[in-house]
Amino acid sequence: MENDELVQNMLLELRRGVLSIAVLSQLSKEEYGYSLLKALSDRGMEIDQSTLYPLLRRLESQGLLQSDWRIVDEARPRRYYVISPQGKAVLAKLKREWSAMAETMKQMLS
Amino acid sequence: MGLINRYIAEVGRHLPEKDRSDIEAEIRSMIEDVLEERGHTPASADESEIAETLEQLGDPKLLAYKYAPPKRYLIGPEWYEGYLKILQRILFTAVPVVAVVRFVLTLARDPLDIASALGEVAYSVFNVGTQILFWVTLVFALLERSDEKPDDLPKSSSRVWTIAQLPKMPRTRQISVAETVMNIAVLLFLLIWIALPFALDRFQGEPVAVPFLHPNLWNFWLPVFFIIMGLTLIHEVFKLKIGNWTPALTAANVILGVISIVYIAALVTTQDLVNPEFLARLDSSLGSSELREFVRWSIGISAAIIAGTYVWSMVDSIRLSKKLKQTS
Repeated sequence: MENDELVQNMLLELRRGVLSIAVLSQLSKEEYGYSLLKALSDRGMEIDQSTLYPLLRRLESQGLLQSDWRIVDEARPRRYYVISPQGKAVLAKLKREWSAMAETMKQMLS
Repeated sequence: MGLINRYIAEVGRHLPEKDRSDIEAEIRSMIEDVLEERGHTPASADESEIAETLEQLGDPKLLAYKYAPPKRYLIGPEWYEGYLKILQRILFTAVPVVAVVRFVLTLARDPLDIASALGEVAYSVFNVGTQILFWVTLVFALLERSDEKPDDLPKSSSRVWTIAQLPKMPRTRQISVAETVMNIAVLLFLLIWIALPFALDRFQGEPVAVPFLHPNLWNFWLPVFFIIMGLTLIHEVFKLKIGNWTPALTAANVILGVISIVYIAALVTTQDLVNPEFLARLDSSLGSSELREFVRWSIGISAAIIAGTYVWSMVDSIRLSKKLKQTS
């Protein structure tokens, strides 16, 4: 039982960093919150709404995303997010770092 | 739709004001997306379905904290607006009164020394201002700390939040709490200010200071004044409790207003308000009777202003009660 909670907390920390990269990587074309949630889930990355929406907002305030309210296909207005030029540059760097880190960890854990 | 509004209002309550409407709109849109996914429009979804959606989103307070990580505030966004309002109100009433009273009293001692009178005014304004600022801030800082802190909330989503924990929609009030509390405080202060010298006089035998008000007023006018103030106090308490200009509350307001205006007009035109002994002291300390004129004028002007406030309050309450009737 005690271990469960410990593992939960460590996973939470682990995911926190990874999620930002995952979100940035899926926003080369614009999505609104819920469509992004499904896109991530389709690719095996489950994320809570209550985590994703604040994350989107934070990434935007850091200048990595851009957003605006828009009506597409005569639906309700929704806030659409897309990666910014700065976000693209940051994502490229993160990708390199991630590959290196993943490689190191793979060797370390094998 | 009621549940959704309540949920969003509860999230908004914990957000800083500048982001509030934007984040609220986003959360609404996100809830509607989920309902749509389940094959509903927000209008067609039933309570239990909405409840389930909201429970999935979790504790609204926690959601708000994810948007805007709480900082350590002396006075946080939940209290800040009320704090500013009350602070302004008290400062803008108390400081001018103190300044004028201090100015007149110092001049009464030495009418030629305007420089030191101004000095006294600056000193007491600073003093009173700092006191008010300190005490009001202290009260609100304590209120802030009486709330559940984000640190007390579990970091993971292990605590289950259910829809039953969602508070009722905050009812919109026409009559602000701050205003009524302020009125009650002013009323009590006024009652004590008038009654205390009289009571001291009665029970100690030796007058502590020369009372400002004419002793004859105690035969009839001041008892009537206390009755009117007592009724007004009761009315304020009901205003605080009910919060809206209901017909009964409005009628009482109009009746009290008319009585008060008639009383003030009769009092000012037929009675000598100021204790002649007090005026005599003033004269002797001044060496002339110039201040008498000033006292007479200030009483007349204050009476006119007070009567004006009553008229305004009556008109305003009638207008708001009509509005209440239309919306309900």
